[in-house]
Amino acid sequence: MSEESTTLRSRSAEPSPGPIRLFEAPEVAAGKLENGLSLRLAGRPRFPVAAITLVLDAGEALVGREHAGLAVITGKALEGGTVHRSGSALAEAVEGLGTELRIRTGWDSTTVSLTCLADRVDEAMGLLAEVVREPSFPAAEVERTLTEHGAMLRQRKMDPSSLASDAFLTVLYREDVPYARPLVGSVESLSRLGADGVEGFVEERYRPSRGGLVVAGDVNPSEAEELARSHFADWSGAADPGPAFPIEPERRERRAVVVHRPGAVQSEIRVGHMGAPRDTPDYYALRVANAILGGAFTSRLNLNLRERHGYTYGVRSRFSFRRGAGPFSISTAVSTEVTADAVREAVQEVRGFVEEGPRGDELEQAKDYIVGVFPLQFETAGQVAARTAGLLVYGLPDDHDAHFRERIRKVSLADVREAVERHLRPEELQILVAGDAEAVEGPLEALSLGPVEVRSE
Amino acid sequence: MFSIDYDRHRLDNGLTVILSRDEAIPIVAVNLWYGVGSRNERPGRTGFAHLFEHMMFQGSAHVPKNRHFELIERAGGSLNASTWFDRTNYFETVPSHHLELALWLESDRMGWLLPAMTSEKLENQRDVVLNERKQRYENQPYGDWDERLQALLFPEDHPYHHTVIGSVEDIKSASLADVEEFFRTYYVPGNAVLTICGDFEAERARELVEAYFGEIPEGGVVPPLPGEVELAPTIGETRKERVPDSVPLPRTYLAYRIPPFSDPRFHQAEVAAAVLADGKASRLYSSLVRERKLAKDVVAYAFPLVTGATMLLVAVTGHAQTEADTLEEALFEEIEGLSEVRASEVDRAVALSETRLVNEVERVGARADLLSLFQTHFDDPGRLNEEMDRLRAVTREDVRAFAAEFLGPDNRALVTYVPEDER
Repeated sequence: MSEESTTLRSRSAEPSPGPIRLFEAPEVAAGKLENGLSLRLAGRPRFPVAAITLVLDAGEALVGREHAGLAVITGKALEGGTVHRSGSALAEAVEGLGTELRIRTGWDSTTVSLTCLADRVDEAMGLLAEVVREPSFPAAEVERTLTEHGAMLRQRKMDPSSLASDAFLTVLYREDVPYARPLVGSVESLSRLGADGVEGFVEERYRPSRGGLVVAGDVNPSEAEELARSHFADWSGAADPGPAFPIEPERRERRAVVVHRPGAVQSEIRVGHMGAPRDTPDYYALRVANAILGGAFTSRLNLNLRERHGYTYGVRSRFSFRRGAGPFSISTAVSTEVTADAVREAVQEVRGFVEEGPRGDELEQAKDYIVGVFPLQFETAGQVAARTAGLLVYGLPDDHDAHFRERIRKVSLADVREAVERHLRPEELQILVAGDAEAVEGPLEALSLGPVEVRSE
Repeated sequence: MFSIDYDRHRLDNGLTVILSRDEAIPIVAVNLWYGVGSRNERPGRTGFAHLFEHMMFQGSAHVPKNRHFELIERAGGSLNASTWFDRTNYFETVPSHHLELALWLESDRMGWLLPAMTSEKLENQRDVVLNERKQRYENQPYGDWDERLQALLFPEDHPYHHTVIGSVEDIKSASLADVEEFFRTYYVPGNAVLTICGDFEAERARELVEAYFGEIPEGGVVPPLPGEVELAPTIGETRKERVPDSVPLPRTYLAYRIPPFSDPRFHQAEVAAAVLADGKASRLYSSLVRERKLAKDVVAYAFPLVTGATMLLVAVTGHAQTEADTLEEALFEEIEGLSEVRASEVDRAVALSETRLVNEVERVGARADLLSLFQTHFDDPGRLNEEMDRLRAVTREDVRAFAAEFLGPDNRALVTYVPEDER
């Protein structure tokens, strides 16, 4: 029996924690190829797998409104084939290695990733490089990508949650702000896209100079650097920083908009307003603030709407931190008959948080939570690669993760109170309900939270 | 590829304990499988196993309501639970110095749930579950596919005839007495597996488990499943349902009744499913999506269920103009074409499954869940280490034979949704 394992304390008290074993974020070696491609290499052998993520400064925010969806479509069309092989031959080659390409386009970047067994990393990186550097965009494959994307947009319109989220953006941002539209574009903008646009976007944005390559897992950093060189050193070209875009709200006055879904048994609710950019000095305070308000199960919103009232299966709030100020949003789905009650409670929770600020116990709980779950993001090679890629996208320093937890721990009550006062504005909250307008309009009016506008789908 | 070390022992009260160390990161997963799921529900109480799972988060004798979530979140852990056909699992991953906390919480609700149960809690969670049902099934396009498909695929008296979420009426009828009876019947140590995986000291973990779980009384023997478990290996015909509904695109859910997870042929089913729809070089993607452009996406999955039989599910979403008949016929054609499956297709399918399995075991939470699964269904956690070999052993001939026996016209159940109005 070891020293510390004395008898069990009484069952009626929660046990005290044992000795802490410190977690250290993985070491990441940084470098750069002559063509400007940043390298981040994290050897973390645990299982014989390797993860590769190529980051491109090719986010959807760079695309003008008339071509909305172009960055996303371009990413999807990459799998249509390369100058060396057709789309189906490409799929055979990639999947023959036991892996799949994951191409993700967000507002701020496009990433092309894969996870493979470590002894196949050279071949896999070769295919990834081929896809990004030498796509061929055969007309039939681009056409198919557009058709499938159109079908997906059609599905979104009939999925209550997507419908609400998409409509909410138009309520939050002025029409000329990229964030006012769904990331995936619209049926209308899709009709203006084709192989030419996609090729042009690649020509302009898929360039090493503002990109980065991350390799994580069971590959040692010097070997990974060799591989990076062999597959990317002769890639050339420079991308410019891209156009600036406005970030303005649609309106300041509080309002409720109901997107009518006749006979809906549930209402999808979104409440929020413009949030803050990733580089806000209040980033850490807002992470803590959000955990208290609606970012965890035991947050104020969830304890109220779910555990106290049983209105919903769950409610969450979040700040979408992007290069520009993404939305602050509260999301939930509730039974039609309690829609207005849930909206009232949500708005009241925001108001109460701004007026009274956080309590000391909530602050500690939220900080412990964020600090404690931090290591869970570093379990797999794929997670480490994705996390490291995120640092590249936002130009964050390489020691960001090494200091993350101490920065969270330093957040004080005053920091949270001030951040909340700066970034949460109860009088400007925009409310979006996708539900049965005939049932919810009256009760929403009765809340006197501002005008209520009903839209058909 | 990987070899997961573990150690297994049993407490006097019957609780099976699996310890598997990995000190790479100072976190530890605590995972509990109870051998109870929707298959144990009696008529009139469908959905109860899942509602009960919610009640397990409402506090126990020494843990007030919400305290479980509060303590785990405060510890910096993640937690959840899920109910399925054959089992219910509860799991948390916490920083390793909070192992004792997780064991205290799990043991308290295994041993001392009932003293804390109240009708207010039941009413509250009934509302939450009814909302979950609305959000995930009623207010969702295609939301009732499983209800329809399971009814076609399994006889009325078979435990898989009804869904895990259950009927609204049954959820509304559940009483506090049901909670008590269910707990006493199924939440007993002998019907549970506790797996701890990650960073811990073995001796200390054993002592803590004994200290927290050892005093829980043994409980009775779990009663036999309601209904009739034995059933014919195939359904004997094609059963079709056409559902005009307010859905955006046509979609077919096609299922075959296949041998259960516990049968050696289940791995053939898994490989067949991967040949059909895993990846963009898969049969159905190549044909229906890429070449013929009838569909926008395809998936196929063999459900790892153990009660008499299970299902291989294929779901395909058509394009707006694709006729339901065309979609169904194209699916049948490709699936029956497995009679000529090539070795390269099998190799590709196995390679994808291989990487996916390693990716899964990379996470201690998923690894713990797999160890619990193999213990619960096979009494052998070590089977996890053989899983890859079992998949690799599947040959082209096996897939052909499997398809010939189970994936033909005499064993199909399908539900096809067709858009009814163009709004």
